[in-house]
Amino acid sequence: MIAILASMLLAAAHPCAPVEPAPVRDPASASAYRKVGDAERSAGSPETAARAYRAALALDPSDGAARRALDDLCREAGGPFRRGMARMDAGDLRGAIAAFREARAQGSDPSAALVEGVCHYELGEDGEARAALREAATASAHREAAEFYLGLIALREGDSGEAARLLDAAAANPGFAPAASDLARLARRSGKLVFSILAESGWDSNAQLAPGGTPISTSSDGSLSVTATGLYRPRGESGPYLRATGLYRAQARFTDLDFGGVSAAAGWQLGHARRGLLAEYDYDYRLLGASSFLSAHRLLAGGWMPAGPLTLGASYYARFESYRAALYSPFSGTLQRAEGTVGLRLGRSGRFTLGYHLARDGVERSELSWTEHGPGAELRVALARRLRLAVNAAVSLREYDKLDPALGIQRSDRYLDAVALLEWDVGDRLTARFSLDGRKAFSNAAAFDYVRIAPTLGLAYVFGM
Amino acid sequence: MHVGGVLLVLAVMSSPGAKGGAPVGTHLAAGANAFREGHYEDALVEFRVAQELGAGDAGPYAAATLVKLGRPEEAVEAFAATEEGRDTLLDYYRGVACYQARLYLCADRLLASVGARSGPRIAEEAARARAAIASELAKEPPRSTVDWYLTRCGERRDAGRPALAAALCEEAVGLAQRRTDRYRLTEATTQLAKLPLSGRAGVAR
Repeated sequence: MIAILASMLLAAAHPCAPVEPAPVRDPASASAYRKVGDAERSAGSPETAARAYRAALALDPSDGAARRALDDLCREAGGPFRRGMARMDAGDLRGAIAAFREARAQGSDPSAALVEGVCHYELGEDGEARAALREAATASAHREAAEFYLGLIALREGDSGEAARLLDAAAANPGFAPAASDLARLARRSGKLVFSILAESGWDSNAQLAPGGTPISTSSDGSLSVTATGLYRPRGESGPYLRATGLYRAQARFTDLDFGGVSAAAGWQLGHARRGLLAEYDYDYRLLGASSFLSAHRLLAGGWMPAGPLTLGASYYARFESYRAALYSPFSGTLQRAEGTVGLRLGRSGRFTLGYHLARDGVERSELSWTEHGPGAELRVALARRLRLAVNAAVSLREYDKLDPALGIQRSDRYLDAVALLEWDVGDRLTARFSLDGRKAFSNAAAFDYVRIAPTLGLAYVFGM
Repeated sequence: MHVGGVLLVLAVMSSPGAKGGAPVGTHLAAGANAFREGHYEDALVEFRVAQELGAGDAGPYAAATLVKLGRPEEAVEAFAATEEGRDTLLDYYRGVACYQARLYLCADRLLASVGARSGPRIAEEAARARAAIASELAKEPPRSTVDWYLTRCGERRDAGRPALAAALCEEAVGLAQRRTDRYRLTEATTQLAKLPLSGRAGVAR
């Protein structure tokens, strides 16, 4: 009996599949199955209900109530809401939206409105998403879920105040609290106008990039630096933007290496974190040791798009550099860099990116011009809700164009770079940072073979409006 | 299969109902087999049918199956009539149900008791869940969280689900007690007291 029942239950649970009668009729058990089917149907579990009704009909084919209920489930199984959910699960968001709209056309359906809103959000259709989510928010069962997604939309549109309000409201639901609280904190640091200031103190084992073998004490130095940035995005994440940065770094020993500068950029981002294009113009002016050092114009273009579980990215820039001091003027020229990346999301809070770059610095003197290429990798992971770690490593293989008469060789360099950055959100707008920056340069010219390690401790304050 | 699944099957097979013969024992055994094979919908149907046919001990097994089916609120309701502390494994599933239903204080209480009485695997999973709960409960709960539980308690009560309403109100009471200002504690206690005693998730402990 057990085997027969199990096979009947397992063979075909779909409500529309034909029911095979059991060898022996058992109306009493059939009645129990039907009651279980009714209870499961009331609980909103049509699949379990169908299994129970099918068992009831197998044991008593004359059970009219079980037959009618199974017929109803069969009709509902082809209904638009369930069709939409199946399409959503399969990744067909357009198909899912069409089905959810069909469900909503039959009458008010907050559940369909919620999932339709989520589909629109995923597709970047914020206007349609907002309308559907607002309808969903009228149902108490979906209120916080709808507020969560409305908050995400406000966040990417740069409406930080509204985003923080919605995400704080969504955080009242303990199921959304961790993500919503973190995003509300992010919202307070975002907005159409964002200012940040970063103060850092660091030590550099080899501030002068002295060759290997030089005693550390002769080239090491401490520094204090301040960087202030303003970012204006009138239409939020997607749209035009202006950025201005000012920075100053004072060395403790080698004041001729005191470094300062300002930069201003104007750009346009089309799209969001999932898929986008970006174009930017940037101007940099730099001082070194209180003297004019560099003036540079940069044109940048980039894009990123999903490809299954991966994110593919590419970028290119050309930087037109003009060194002001006579000592550095031979380095004036055009630096170009192109990079391709493949990113993979690691769970809910990590990302691993692999990349390969090609760079070319064409300067006034060909013995100083070079071509470089090499791989890089980056791991970003949230260690805890307020603690993030980023580790970056890269290898660069650089070949100079011509023999350097001063050195008597044609330079060939290899660089191993590694950076680790630990960030801890001390408050809603305050972040403590610790970074460790290291480079090992190998060169066929001994004077350019060096090691450098630079730990830095900093505090960043960010606020958005 | 999850270690808890194997142990649950053994528990069902050794229960008085399963040894009692047809028809109740047949359904309990069929439910246990389906559970072991991971066919949780079938297991639920069989356990529920056993209940319909008079097997009182099938209720907590159906509740454990609801946990597996990702229906934690219903599992909390189904466990409500079962006394806590009699079966370690069922307490573990009950704790998981509370955790998934966001009843963190309930989950913490149950999983703490499970840890001391269970085998290493269950104890490890219980400890992991308790660590996650500890991070949720580390800070004083915000007022909006107490509001959320009280609102849900009222909604579930009005929807005719007193056992779930009681579990939510009990959570609100516990969270209000964790606040220095005892925000809405009196209201939560009063609301809980008005719910039928037999339906309360934590009362049977």
